[in-house]
Amino acid sequence: MNGVEKMSEKMSEQIEEKISKALDTEMTRRQFMKISGKGLMGLTVSASLLSLFGCTQQQIDNGEVATWAMPQGLLVVNAAKCVGCQRCEINCTLVNDGVASTYISRVKVQRNITLNGEHGLYGNKDWVYFPDTCRQCKDPACGNACPQGAIYANDNGIRVVDQEKCIGCGACVQACPWHMPTVNPETHKSSKCIACGACVQGCPAGALSIIPWDEVTAAAQEVHK
Amino acid sequence: MSTNYGWAGKILRVNLTTGSVTTEDTAKYQDYIGGMGLAYKIMYDEVPLTTKAYDEANKIIFGVGPLTASGVPCSGRMNVTTLSAWTKGYSILDGHMGGHIAHNFKYAGYDALVIEGKAAGHVYIKIDDDKVTIESAEHTWGMGTFDTNRIMIEENGSDFDVVSIGQAGENLVNYSCMLTSSCDSAGAGTAAVLGSKNVKSVVVRGTGNVKIANPAEFKELCDYMLRELIGGNNNHNVPAVPQSWAEYSAPSGNNRWAGAPGRVWGLAEGGPIDMGEQPYDDINKIAYRCMKGQFDFGDIAQKYMVKVGGCSSCPVRCYAEYEMAPLAEYELPTRVSNTCMPIIYNTTWYPEGVKDFVDEGDASIIINGAGERALDNFGVWENYGNLLREFNWCYKHGVFERVLPKEEFDAVPWDLMKEGNPKWMWWIIEQIATKKGEISHLGDGTYLLAERWNLGQEFWDDNYMQTISYNGYPRHHGSEDVYQVGVLYSIMYNRDCMIHHMINIVGSGCPYEVYKKTLEDEFGEGCVDMPKKYTPMNRSKARLAKWAFIGKQWHDSATVCNWMWPMTQSPAKSRNYKGDHDLDAKFMSAVTGDKWTRADVDLASERISNMLRVMTAISFNINEGSTNLREDHDTICNWVFDKEPEFKAFEEGTVKLDRADMELAKDMFYEEMGWDVKTGIPTRATLERVGLGYMADDLAARGLLPA
Repeated sequence: MNGVEKMSEKMSEQIEEKISKALDTEMTRRQFMKISGKGLMGLTVSASLLSLFGCTQQQIDNGEVATWAMPQGLLVVNAAKCVGCQRCEINCTLVNDGVASTYISRVKVQRNITLNGEHGLYGNKDWVYFPDTCRQCKDPACGNACPQGAIYANDNGIRVVDQEKCIGCGACVQACPWHMPTVNPETHKSSKCIACGACVQGCPAGALSIIPWDEVTAAAQEVHK
Repeated sequence: MSTNYGWAGKILRVNLTTGSVTTEDTAKYQDYIGGMGLAYKIMYDEVPLTTKAYDEANKIIFGVGPLTASGVPCSGRMNVTTLSAWTKGYSILDGHMGGHIAHNFKYAGYDALVIEGKAAGHVYIKIDDDKVTIESAEHTWGMGTFDTNRIMIEENGSDFDVVSIGQAGENLVNYSCMLTSSCDSAGAGTAAVLGSKNVKSVVVRGTGNVKIANPAEFKELCDYMLRELIGGNNNHNVPAVPQSWAEYSAPSGNNRWAGAPGRVWGLAEGGPIDMGEQPYDDINKIAYRCMKGQFDFGDIAQKYMVKVGGCSSCPVRCYAEYEMAPLAEYELPTRVSNTCMPIIYNTTWYPEGVKDFVDEGDASIIINGAGERALDNFGVWENYGNLLREFNWCYKHGVFERVLPKEEFDAVPWDLMKEGNPKWMWWIIEQIATKKGEISHLGDGTYLLAERWNLGQEFWDDNYMQTISYNGYPRHHGSEDVYQVGVLYSIMYNRDCMIHHMINIVGSGCPYEVYKKTLEDEFGEGCVDMPKKYTPMNRSKARLAKWAFIGKQWHDSATVCNWMWPMTQSPAKSRNYKGDHDLDAKFMSAVTGDKWTRADVDLASERISNMLRVMTAISFNINEGSTNLREDHDTICNWVFDKEPEFKAFEEGTVKLDRADMELAKDMFYEEMGWDVKTGIPTRATLERVGLGYMADDLAARGLLPA
């Protein structure tokens, strides 16, 4: 029912390994690859993992919950909990840019609040709005499209924009199926999520949370005791 | 000081008569901070107070300030200033709105939008960063705000925000407001001023940013505020019901920190979401504190709540967002949301009572849902409940039989009202918004309505009406909450005061002895009375009243939310529940890079407060022939002193005030403000102290400056 469903099945190999290690006792790596970076809809998740993710099976069945694999853990986004306050966007830009902004934020809420598809406060006037961010694709359309080769995977497997090389052409913005990179109109440089966690730290609703990998592993193993 | 940080740096002017779009530097207005203060300076300089609200020469100014959208929690407010069309003296007033539009506006690069002149056709103003155009609104003119806003976003893009007037603003209804579709509204008739200029909407997208001088320090301050200072809605600092981490909870069991374990958003996508406990220092749980639906309607709200909303930057979500299925049977919209009068007061439209819909006790919530959509669709403002009370009062006093032509009276669908049908509100609110029939004069406003329908002294002095002054607006937390102090600031403006400084404290549920100490440490012994046991006026109370009054001007200029700020209290036992009144200055320093102190904040607040006072004095002189604000503006309706006849003033259990004591209260308050005690008009010494010597000259030239 919302934008968190449609996500890439690709992600960096380093992260794949972490997920695989964390979850191989609960489900096959292939299964988790299908759910990572997309909505969990269609999957039955164990009670211990539900508890860890702070969500319900019904929320998963409704397509409200998505997960993103990150170096420091699994990013869980629960759209039903998003209250639209945009503190994630503000914290993202305060920490990464030293300014307050929504447009250049690496996590995106503003563009979903008024209208997202049929939804949003100004569309069907329903209460569907949510944060959205980089899928950390294994085969990144943004990086592939960059004429400068400015988008590269750092030591943690996170794709970042080399600010020296970036010429602000916007090819990455166009190439990304979700238009997640953003060219800063002031600096003319592109930026994208670097998995710093500032958005999660400041989310007053816990709609964004990062579950450390050891906890994910422990919860997964608990099922099999 | 410079406007490199905090301020956007530019003021946008759109002249609808000439079609010109220009910008100017904000720097020359910096002494007036932003929002309200900046707008008052522009109005004073450019719009003679002889101008009428709907004249082409009037201007309407949207303003934000250096803290707006900076990331300061609860900084999503926009101030809208213009001239009053409906209160005695027809002086300057403001509407105020939250939501997401202030952020967009600031990020588009502007501190203010000054709308001048009058368009030849119906238009909307499109602000896309530095591309500003005047576009045709012929296709949305005549529509309600929800349809208009949807069309504006569909046409312009999902990263825009928009505020529109409804039919009430188009038809120059004094009781009108402009709305976003998250139902944030600037009221007080500001929409009709837009309507008089043929402006339907203001559409805005901002891809820019607010520069922060010391971002790391600033982020720390934000986290400090969120971990140690902020409470629930209205900054209530203890939870309504006990939580395991909390020493106190509200004795009444009800306040605006209503979230608690077992209380749910029942219609959340994917099943109910439990509010759980919200330990005061857990940033990731703050959004579950408020649960305004629970505060407004009790447990029944859980059945219809989907989630909560509010303003950009604010973690305390004071808007309950509902899906009310029972309204579908009446072919009315089911998705409703608001936080204040438009969603809590609509049963007043039913003097014969309301009836339940599905569950026992659900009449109020369902009627309020329907009323919210009606008021907000047509863009009708209700003068903090006076519109509804005026209808109710007139119904009960047989006024409609007297003033409506018989044919009109007989055609009113009274049956809808008597059967508690929610469509009744849609009918009567549409009459008001479209100026149909004599009954639509309910939209004229208290002051003009009383005269037109000859409602008499009984109308003004009825305790039920809650009209605080003979200028035509109600108390907004007055004597019923903070006695003399509440009345003093309720009569200072040219609309209801919108000051929440004290209700935030006395309504918090925190023990009296605890908040008494917090306030007495700053304002002196006896500044705040025990509930229902008030004492005669004293100097400490005058200081307290001044703090609240000038603080409101700071909030509307900086801008931060007066429902949350100032941070007087704290939910932290380790702080003895005491907040931090230096926080505004700390934020100003971190944002702007200039050293700000509490004294700097207070001086700016006093400056703006005196601008309000001087402009009010000039308007009252021009329009009422008055040379004395104390006698002609600062009036207090008799019910304040005559209510609860079984009590004498000062007796335990009453909130009725004493006339002589209230005159003493005015004396002391004027003295604290540096105003002439006889006339209530600022002295030259005061005006010069706050940097308004030119206003003293103006008053002198008009014969209004106190000797």
